[in-house]
Amino acid sequence: MSDIPEYKFDRVFDAPRSLVWKAWTDPKLLARWYGPGAETIIHEFDLRPGGVWLNEMKWGDKSMCSKMAFTEIAPEDHMVWHHSSTDSDWNIVSNPMMPNWPRTLLTTVTFTEQDGKTTVSLSQIPMDATAEEIECFAGAMAGMSKGWGAGYKILDEIFAELQA
Amino acid sequence: MEPAVLHRSQAHKRLLTSLQSLYNDIVMEQLSYIQNQPKLDAVFAALADPTRRTILMQLTKGEASVNELAAPFEISQPAVSRHLKVLERAGLVERDIDKQRRPARLKAQEMMAAVAWLTEFRAFWDNSFDQLDAVLAQMKQTPDNT
Repeated sequence: MSDIPEYKFDRVFDAPRSLVWKAWTDPKLLARWYGPGAETIIHEFDLRPGGVWLNEMKWGDKSMCSKMAFTEIAPEDHMVWHHSSTDSDWNIVSNPMMPNWPRTLLTTVTFTEQDGKTTVSLSQIPMDATAEEIECFAGAMAGMSKGWGAGYKILDEIFAELQA
Repeated sequence: MEPAVLHRSQAHKRLLTSLQSLYNDIVMEQLSYIQNQPKLDAVFAALADPTRRTILMQLTKGEASVNELAAPFEISQPAVSRHLKVLERAGLVERDIDKQRRPARLKAQEMMAAVAWLTEFRAFWDNSFDQLDAVLAQMKQTPDNT
C-alpha cells in the first residue's frame, strides 16, 4: 500500500460559520451534540495548540474516553488535533475490540461558508501507525466506500429484523 | 414560535430520541457481537486489497470456483487461490473440501461484524452532526444562547 488511508466526511449546516464554530468550540454546546446519543462529559477543554479536550461518553454503565490534543487552531477556519482513545486515566490505549485499529488519528476539521451555509469537512488519518494498523484502517475505509454495498445490504436486512 | 409548530417540533424531537435509543441498543448489541470476533483485525486486513474486495463482491452473487473468480483478473489462478486463502483465514469465505471444483462461498456472518464496526465508525459523526443541526437551529432562535 503506497499512501496512508484517509477518512473524509463533509456535511453542510444551515448556519453561518461563526455559529458553527461556536457550537464546536464552546464546551457547553459541544457536549450537547458530540457523541451519538451518549451522555457526553467534557472534563477539560483548552482550545489552543498544546491544549487538550478530554472527553467521556457514557451509555448506561459503559464509558468511553478519548483525548484530543490540539495542534492548530485557526478561528472559524480550521482546527487540527490528535484524536486518541484512552483509559479512564487519559492514557492512550489501543481499542480492546480491535487491537490493530490505529490508536491516534490526525483529525482536521475545516469550516467554509457559502450563502449563509457552512460546510464542515472532517478528515482522519492514522498517526504513527504500524503497518498492521494502516492496513486495518485501509481495509475499513475501503469497506466504507460504496464499492462494498453487499455488506450494507446484509446489515439493512438485519436492522429490519431487529426493528420488526 | 407558533404553538402548532412547537408541538410538531416536540413530536419530532421525541421521535428522534426514541430512534436514538433504538440505535444505541443496536450498537450495543453489535459491540457485544464484535467482542466475540477475534478475527476482526484479519477481516480488515483482508479487505485492504482491491482484488480481494472484487472477489468478495463476485461471491455475493453466489458461489464460484477459482477458475470463475480468476476470469475477470489479469492474474493467474494460483494468485487468486492465494487471495482466497487470505479470505478463508479471515473467515470471510469458506470452500468445499470434497468436491473437485471446490467452490468458494461468502460467509456473511463474519462480514456482518466488519460492517457493524464500519457502521458504528460512520454513525458516530453522522449522528453527532444530526445533533449539531438541532443545536444550531436552537442557537439561531436565541442568538445570545451559549
